Amino acid sequence: MIEVKNISMMYGAPPRTVLDNISIDIADGDFVCVLGQTGCGKSTLLRLILGSEHATSGQILVDGKEHKQPDRTRGYVPQKYSLFPDKTVIENITFGAEVSEFGLFGRFQPSFYRRRREFRQRAQSYLRSIGLREADGGKYPDELSGGMQQRVAIAQALMTEPRILLMDEAFSALDPGTRRGMQQLIRELWAATGTTILFVTHNTDEALALATRVVVLGKDGPDSGSRVILDARISEESRTHDKEKLLHQLESVSHNFADEETVLPAA
Amino acid sequence: MSAGFLLIHAKPGRVWSTVLSWVLFSVGLAAYFYMAEARHRENPEDRVTPTLAQMVKGMSDAVLKPAEEDEVVESPTLMQQISTSMLWKDTKATSRRFGISMLLLLPAVLLGLHMGLFPYIGAFFLRFFLFFDKIVALSLLPILFIAFGIDELSKIMLIVIGVAPTVILDVFNLTKAVPAEQVVKAFTLGAGDFDVAYRVVLKQIMPRVLNSIRLNLKSVMLFLFAGEMIASTDGLAYRIALLRRHMGMDVIIPYVLWVALLLFAVDFSMRLVNRWLHPWFREA
Repeated sequence: MIEVKNISMMYGAPPRTVLDNISIDIADGDFVCVLGQTGCGKSTLLRLILGSEHATSGQILVDGKEHKQPDRTRGYVPQKYSLFPDKTVIENITFGAEVSEFGLFGRFQPSFYRRRREFRQRAQSYLRSIGLREADGGKYPDELSGGMQQRVAIAQALMTEPRILLMDEAFSALDPGTRRGMQQLIRELWAATGTTILFVTHNTDEALALATRVVVLGKDGPDSGSRVILDARISEESRTHDKEKLLHQLESVSHNFADEETVLPAA
Repeated sequence: MSAGFLLIHAKPGRVWSTVLSWVLFSVGLAAYFYMAEARHRENPEDRVTPTLAQMVKGMSDAVLKPAEEDEVVESPTLMQQISTSMLWKDTKATSRRFGISMLLLLPAVLLGLHMGLFPYIGAFFLRFFLFFDKIVALSLLPILFIAFGIDELSKIMLIVIGVAPTVILDVFNLTKAVPAEQVVKAFTLGAGDFDVAYRVVLKQIMPRVLNSIRLNLKSVMLFLFAGEMIASTDGLAYRIALLRRHMGMDVIIPYVLWVALLLFAVDFSMRLVNRWLHPWFREA
């Protein structure tokens, strides 16, 4: 479980509030999409949960513990630079398993090569599950399309079996067709693994297609920090039958808020 | 060749590219030999612009004759002739110093990497090296000779002091340029600090580090030559400085070309090794 407790975040000089007293509890197995306009602090919130940045005030607990830096309890798929360019697809996917089990000089341990073969066999099954061919395993990231790279990044993150997966605009750079395929893939993987997913996006359509819960961040004014302006659960039924209505509601929340005409209370 | 051959969008074919790339070499050689011929017609004893035949003679003496009188061997084999020759002896001495200096750049690479990754190490060293990089290394030569004597150490220290700060700062910048996402990602996959340093960042920047060292090869050689010319009893630069006193241009010119060829070979080898070790790297 992720508990975000009264988080505020300030940047720059003079200090500018980006996040203002945010509190969210995310239950195990949830698929939460964080929505909001560009610059509202969605990615900052994700980096705070990741532990790569630290809040000005407040506390973030993952399974009751505070994490001061990123570790393997939380997997991460950024929008770009998600793969190591010097490693092949298979090496990228097995990287986590190898560094976790073998230290810097692990190569000299007798069991290293046997274990590496096992990791590679497991990675091949991940490759198949994300729709890549075995032959793609030997390619370098720059030989793959953007969509394929993000598929590999997801497999890379899932290989270490994190209980939480944090995705930062992971499909933003993809074309609409590839994006739909990726959305379907991540939903299938989520259903199969039960991983808790926090997905940052600015695309309401995407949030609606993926999430079991949508959290919208917004600002009261240009100089104020973002706060939670909507926190809504999305049931499978409403996703199927009331998609247009939900989409309209989500877009009007963001739109009205941006125009500063209506301020909706947080759910 | 079309009418727009001087424009940006022009695409010279393979033949034209080859021809154009050799034009300056050909013009340079032709101009030299024309000038040499003209000077020798005027003064057959001219020593400033040796003819091709004189340079061949001078170089074959350098390749086949012993460096010192006492190294003369009775009826030597070709290998013995070459291994005791002036050129071989000088090349060996310069190469040894060059090799040691290159090896000493390895700690510089590691220091730059750690400065870029570990903020406390960066804070400790950065300002110092930014200042140190601006010191003209050759101005330190007298101090080095006083501090380390005129032996090998002072010459190697000159190269290290001259080139290491540049390499350190270059590696520091390359390390800083690795996207933060990569470092965060590695941590989320279970990597520790040193896994990130050596298995993620160093491996990614290594091809660029090798390119940076390639660009600094000439500086390494420059400092090495300065040291050898001032205080040495062997080496390619020592020989050039020695022959300058006797106006031995018939050997100096081939020696200069030989040094350029050696440096070109080292640069080319490093490029091949870089390509072989880092097949994923696309050079700009």
